Amino acid sequence: MSATTVRRALIGAALALLVVLPIVSDNLYYQNMLILTFVLAIGASGWNIMGGYAGYISLGSSAFIGLGAYTTGILATRYGVSPFLGCLVGGLVCAVAAAALSLVTRRTRGMYFVIVTFAALQLLGVVATTWSSFTGGSQGLALPLPTWSLTYQNWPFYYPLLALLVVTVTVSVLVRRSKLGLGLFAIQDDEDKATGLGIRTAIYKMTAFVLGGTFVGVAGGIYAYDVAFLNTSAVFDIVTSVLIVLAALLGGRGTVWGPVLGAFIVEPFASFTTTNIGGADSGAIRLLLFGGLLGAVVLFLPRGVLPTVAALVQRARPDVDPPRAKPADESSSTSIDQAPLAAGSEAAAGTGSVTALEVHHLVKAFGGVRAVDDVDLSAPAGSITGLIGPNGSGKTTLFNVVDGTIATRSGRITVRGRRLERQGRPARAHAGLARTYQLPRLFPSLSVIENIVLPEAGFDVGRLWLRRVTTADRDRAMTVLADLGLAAYADTSPADLSYGQRKLVELAQVLWLNPAVVLLDEPAAGISPALAQRIAAMIRLLREQGVAVLLVEHDLAFLSSLCDRVYVMAAGRIIARGTVAEVSSDPAVVDAYLGDSVALAPTEVPA
Amino acid sequence: MIELEQALIFGALIGGVYALMATGLSLTFGVMKIVNMAQGAFLILSAYLCYSLWSHFGIDPLLGAFLVTVPMALLGLLLYKLVIERIQRIDPGLTIVATFALAIIAEALIALAWGPNPSETTPGYFNQSFRLGSLVVPRAQLYAFLFALGVTVVLQVTVKRSWLGHAITAASENVEGARLVGVEPARVGAWIFAIATASTAFGGAALSFLYQFTPDSQDVWIGLTLSVVILGGLGSVPGAFTAGLLLGVTEALTSTYVSVRWATAVPTLMILVVLTIRPQGLFTRMTRQDAAV
Repeated sequence: MSATTVRRALIGAALALLVVLPIVSDNLYYQNMLILTFVLAIGASGWNIMGGYAGYISLGSSAFIGLGAYTTGILATRYGVSPFLGCLVGGLVCAVAAAALSLVTRRTRGMYFVIVTFAALQLLGVVATTWSSFTGGSQGLALPLPTWSLTYQNWPFYYPLLALLVVTVTVSVLVRRSKLGLGLFAIQDDEDKATGLGIRTAIYKMTAFVLGGTFVGVAGGIYAYDVAFLNTSAVFDIVTSVLIVLAALLGGRGTVWGPVLGAFIVEPFASFTTTNIGGADSGAIRLLLFGGLLGAVVLFLPRGVLPTVAALVQRARPDVDPPRAKPADESSSTSIDQAPLAAGSEAAAGTGSVTALEVHHLVKAFGGVRAVDDVDLSAPAGSITGLIGPNGSGKTTLFNVVDGTIATRSGRITVRGRRLERQGRPARAHAGLARTYQLPRLFPSLSVIENIVLPEAGFDVGRLWLRRVTTADRDRAMTVLADLGLAAYADTSPADLSYGQRKLVELAQVLWLNPAVVLLDEPAAGISPALAQRIAAMIRLLREQGVAVLLVEHDLAFLSSLCDRVYVMAAGRIIARGTVAEVSSDPAVVDAYLGDSVALAPTEVPA
Repeated sequence: MIELEQALIFGALIGGVYALMATGLSLTFGVMKIVNMAQGAFLILSAYLCYSLWSHFGIDPLLGAFLVTVPMALLGLLLYKLVIERIQRIDPGLTIVATFALAIIAEALIALAWGPNPSETTPGYFNQSFRLGSLVVPRAQLYAFLFALGVTVVLQVTVKRSWLGHAITAASENVEGARLVGVEPARVGAWIFAIATASTAFGGAALSFLYQFTPDSQDVWIGLTLSVVILGGLGSVPGAFTAGLLLGVTEALTSTYVSVRWATAVPTLMILVVLTIRPQGLFTRMTRQDAAV
């Protein structure tokens, strides 16, 4: 019996049990506990889409519960709207709030998001308390009492919440399997790199945050009807946020079932403490327990229960380990010449005298240092252009300015006639600009094939919902991998690859964009001569296909065998251009390379 | 006009105190890129310690602050050794969650030790004031402001001049480089945390006679200190001071012209606005970040 069958059977049994439980048992204590558990499970699953998949941790999740609850409550008391309709409006309000908050994340990362969500929760609490004419303030807000017969007990809360939980988990599964999910995990691993591959990360993050928040908001609305009385300090309580984060982390963030499992552990525990700890200090003791538990999970079980158990099971049963890929021979002689690597039909269409990349008067200053100083440079389609210069001369900074990692205010960058200097990184990738790094940066939580198919040459909302690797993607990517001699590694982690293989995969990754211009930062550094030759062959192939290649490299032999011409940079400026032979006899170039170390006497430095 | 001038005086004095309260956070945030969400709880803890010294031994909180630095420094050291070092090793992204958990634990322990009721120290000057023509300058606020200025200047000079200060700067800018020249970042980290939490003693002392405090008021103070640090920009002490003033004045103006209750929304609103418009803070410039690449 496979692990999947076992898991499906378990989930099915649990769901069936939850469906029949209220019918066979009239114990209201357990019914209420389960209702709260469902709310928490929805909260944690919603949190997980942003916090677990994209790695953006929120400490303000209870704001969504509060917003949903207050929307429902205000609609019911003031406008007589049924709470079951009101809660849907509550979800909508949360969607809008989440979209607005994610605007803040457009320019900030990591811990700033935590701070933003925390601040938003506090702000909402203050607003709800202060704007008392609307919310009831600290007096509280009493919802109309349910009108149905007592024989139905809490079923009208129980079943909608259970259904909502099923929907939330289903959406969570779908997101995880889709290209949206692929992008979110890439954002968690290396957001900068993802934007450079054409991923509109802002839209991905907003979608994730809105999706998560909406369901939590609806749950908050039903919860409001259930508790029948809202007061601001209880509803916008940070402790609820703590429980949500605790449930998600304890169960295993980033997994589908972890947050649900976590909720089914945390909420019964919380109920137990409520009934069993009394006295004046009970509040403080509960706080101590939850805080302590959160701290303990973070420090001693950071991956959560599910991933930890899965790892243990895997270790105990090595036979169910996925078959290890056979190490491929790095120098296996597949004919690189016929490789459909770049598939650069688009780029090839523009071959001729068109200048693929053009840079004019580009300047980037850091304080008084002009790291890129009035650089003019062009790379025609179907050519290989080298860029050399001593360390610190500004080559990588130039790459960073051209690909948009660093913004600049002066200068012009044109790719295939399109002005790009004011565009964001995804737009530059869509315009046909691609770039590799000195040290390859692959996404560790994606498989090799997922790494290759991740880049997006254009943005399309519909694509977000496709499978991570569609059949067409797979066919194309497998051909690429076969050509690289890496077909056996398609479904393994990039961590299993050698350094040189990672360089190959990163090259294949950026070529997935069908770029018109490729910036390569030391592609042959630190790898075996055989592999370097292979990369050289790939670069030549790109030239044949009409791609403009701009190459930073220190190995002059490698450069002269490849480049049509080279630019020499020193102290941020282009000091020479021409063939390798021409520039290496240029006295200015020799001086730039040797000057610093030869000139022992202090030279005048203009201030 | 009097109303406006009065609001500006109040705002500026309180603003200086805000900056003082945020120095610890500013230090860890700026130098180690670590957000210590327990800053609010540490402030409240310091306030309670000052309160106990004042109520049992009659020690003025401004003097008591110096005694309180000792246990607070030890706490910072322990926090770094037991929590921060470990979490930085296993998953740095969870650091902020860990310190947040710590804030909750601290709040619970404070509530168990001192009870949930509001406390306040009331040294002789706490409700007196100087008069400047028709303007009122409350003595407590003025003393707290001067205290804040003093502590901030001493910290700033320490960071700029001493060996430790250079080591801190070095370790924050380039971990490997610092190690090469004999500065062990882990040891520097422990020092930073000790200094940062010790400095909350001063902020807590000022808090103890300017405000009533309860264990659960810690989350108000973490919101406020975060606001100061974000407005001022990462780790810039002068920036934090300016941000504190700006925040204090904005709050005072809101209290005067809108309502006292809406003034409590100012710090968190500022966080959201600044992070949307100018995430690097109001008073710092973007610098080169690619040198490590």
